[in-house]
Amino acid sequence: MNQFAWTPIGEPPPVPVPPPLPAKLDFTGERKGFLHMVARGAGLELVTLGFYRFWLVTDIRRHLWSNTVIDGDAAEYTGRGRELLIGFLIALAILVPIYLAYFLIGVEAEHMQVLASIPLIAAFYVFGQFAIYRARRYRLTRTVWRGVRLWMTGSGWIYAWRASVWLLFAIVTLGIALPWRAAELERYKMYHSWYGDLQGSFEGKGWELFKRIWWIWLLMPGAIILFPALPFLYARYKAEEWRWWISGIRVGGVTLNSRLEPTALTDLYWKVIGWYMLLSTAFATVIGVAAVSVARVGAAASGAAAGPDALMQSIPVLVVTVIGYMALALGLGVVTRLYLTRDLWARVLQTTVVTNIAAVANVAARGDIASAVGEGIADGLDVAGF
Amino acid sequence: MAATGSDVVIYFDGTSSRRHAATLVFSDALEISLDGETKARWAYADIRRADSAPGTLRLACQGAPVLARLEIRDPALAAEVTSRAANLDEHHLGRRGVAKIVGWSLAAAASIVLVVLYGVPLAADRLAPLVPESFERRIGEVAERQVKIVFGEKVCSNPEGQAAFTKLVNTLRDAAGLDTSVQSNVLHSEIPNALALPGGKMVLFDALLAKANNADEIAGVIAHELGHLKHRDNMRGLIYNGGTSFLIGLLFGDITGSSAVIFASRTLVTSSYSREAETGADTFSIEIMQKLGRPPKAMGELMLRVTGKEGGKGLTIISTHPLTEDRLARMSKEDQTPKGPPLLTDREWQALKSICVAGSKV
Repeated sequence: MNQFAWTPIGEPPPVPVPPPLPAKLDFTGERKGFLHMVARGAGLELVTLGFYRFWLVTDIRRHLWSNTVIDGDAAEYTGRGRELLIGFLIALAILVPIYLAYFLIGVEAEHMQVLASIPLIAAFYVFGQFAIYRARRYRLTRTVWRGVRLWMTGSGWIYAWRASVWLLFAIVTLGIALPWRAAELERYKMYHSWYGDLQGSFEGKGWELFKRIWWIWLLMPGAIILFPALPFLYARYKAEEWRWWISGIRVGGVTLNSRLEPTALTDLYWKVIGWYMLLSTAFATVIGVAAVSVARVGAAASGAAAGPDALMQSIPVLVVTVIGYMALALGLGVVTRLYLTRDLWARVLQTTVVTNIAAVANVAARGDIASAVGEGIADGLDVAGF
Repeated sequence: MAATGSDVVIYFDGTSSRRHAATLVFSDALEISLDGETKARWAYADIRRADSAPGTLRLACQGAPVLARLEIRDPALAAEVTSRAANLDEHHLGRRGVAKIVGWSLAAAASIVLVVLYGVPLAADRLAPLVPESFERRIGEVAERQVKIVFGEKVCSNPEGQAAFTKLVNTLRDAAGLDTSVQSNVLHSEIPNALALPGGKMVLFDALLAKANNADEIAGVIAHELGHLKHRDNMRGLIYNGGTSFLIGLLFGDITGSSAVIFASRTLVTSSYSREAETGADTFSIEIMQKLGRPPKAMGELMLRVTGKEGGKGLTIISTHPLTEDRLARMSKEDQTPKGPPLLTDREWQALKSICVAGSKV
């Protein structure tokens, strides 16, 4: 009998490997803890006349980073408030002569042609873009995951140059070029970003963003007239932008993808607006009550009603106004940080999916920390981000 | 004591992102072993807490690779390490750290306030004379162009009016002890005002001429502006405003978009400085008028006609000038019956008043 060997010859064909399950990004931070932290920070900012901002922003980042869990392991922010303070002081030393030079050149330029100093403001824009790039480098090199830090190469000046030229282009095209500008800048940033020895890249295309937001751009003029529509449009735009941005990020073989719904951020912006109105109303009420009671007391004392000018001069009303204004500003700071920093962060993370995370299982550490001067300049020029 | 488990203790060696399932041995130091082989020994005193998600104790060690991390996800084991590592939270900003920040911030604020109140005015007074005249004149030319954009281009100079104006200015200038570099113009404008610009320039708007009843009133105003030139108030103000803006901006940094606070406090401080300069120029005007034997009070009367009574209106601590009635009261106190000859004849005065009427015959 001929026995057929049913066993195949050679190696068995490989069993198709199921694609690895996408890894989830998660945010584990407690909302109450964050609120407590920013409220306390706002109080300390008030007491320290703003100097506490370096430590508050560091605490916020530490909270956000260390609760960002990627494939089961949380990230870590290793920056410290003291570094930011030193960076700010160095930035001052750089900015003071620049401001002085700006003033002198401005005088000379105006001397030749009235209002000729306006192009100098453009120079500050370029400088601001430089600072944004360097500040990103600082934050990136303070970001650690699985014992390996992120870092960044590239030149802040080249970035600033590109950002400015593309801005000119966007202005000339009435904003149509903005998506391509965003793609170009993001490509530059991600191409120069590294996780250990893995290089980043950005695959988002300007066209893809344009396809998703062109109608917002068209509706904008109408929305300025019908202004309650503005927050809807802006929130929609931000959501589309986040989704496009996240979905374009690549690190080595790792792919990110965002499932953020286009309307996912709308309620956050409305909540901030609601709080803004509530706090402003409370502020107005407090001043109103103070003014009325001062007027009553004044009228009782002098027998005649005090005019609005006398009220303006009243020290108690002034004190109430100043304290009320401070409380309003700080309250708004807390609300904005809670909704537009923490909640937004959590929502974006929870809708992000990472595929091929195995590519980062064994990445060699590389790269060194960068100084906080860029961040200091950004703070001095008021262009600081997260 | 030893503990194992695939996900209970994880070690990252700081040279790669590889997750190592580790075993801990508590001897005289914390021993971290992988597959039965001791990989690292962390002295308890050097162990520090690193940030992590809740439920995980993440540790770093001074002296170990900076980014080497040990993660413990078992509460009992975490407690064991915590009890041995005495300096676990030493590097964290505690209450004392915060108190230090608050204390130093207040000290910085106090020193900035002191510098704004005492240092900057002193610097402005000392530095203004050191600014080269040529530079000041350049700023003056820029300022003059801007003034012309805001208030109108038309320089009034019909010959008779210009002659009267030159005579008046020269008389006052000589009395003031200023040299011939002082330049002056009458501009056509609806706003009754006069300005001193950096670099020895003075501008008089004809609307003020229209409001004036006699030459003494205008003479007082010109003397006041010459006072600003003599004291170099423009340069002092420029240095002072620049310095205070910068320092106050520095002080408040960006406390949640506090530009309103910056603006308010700057207004408070600079307007007090400006009131001082105005009072100084008034004093100068009074002295010049007395020297020429003319009544200093005339200027105050003109001012009152222009501004009306100011008391009880607005906020006196943020206005850049002293109250008009206070200025008039001060000038009235120094007033005298005219002893000197009139500064302009009636005919010259009429010519001056119509300096903006082209080719007028008086």
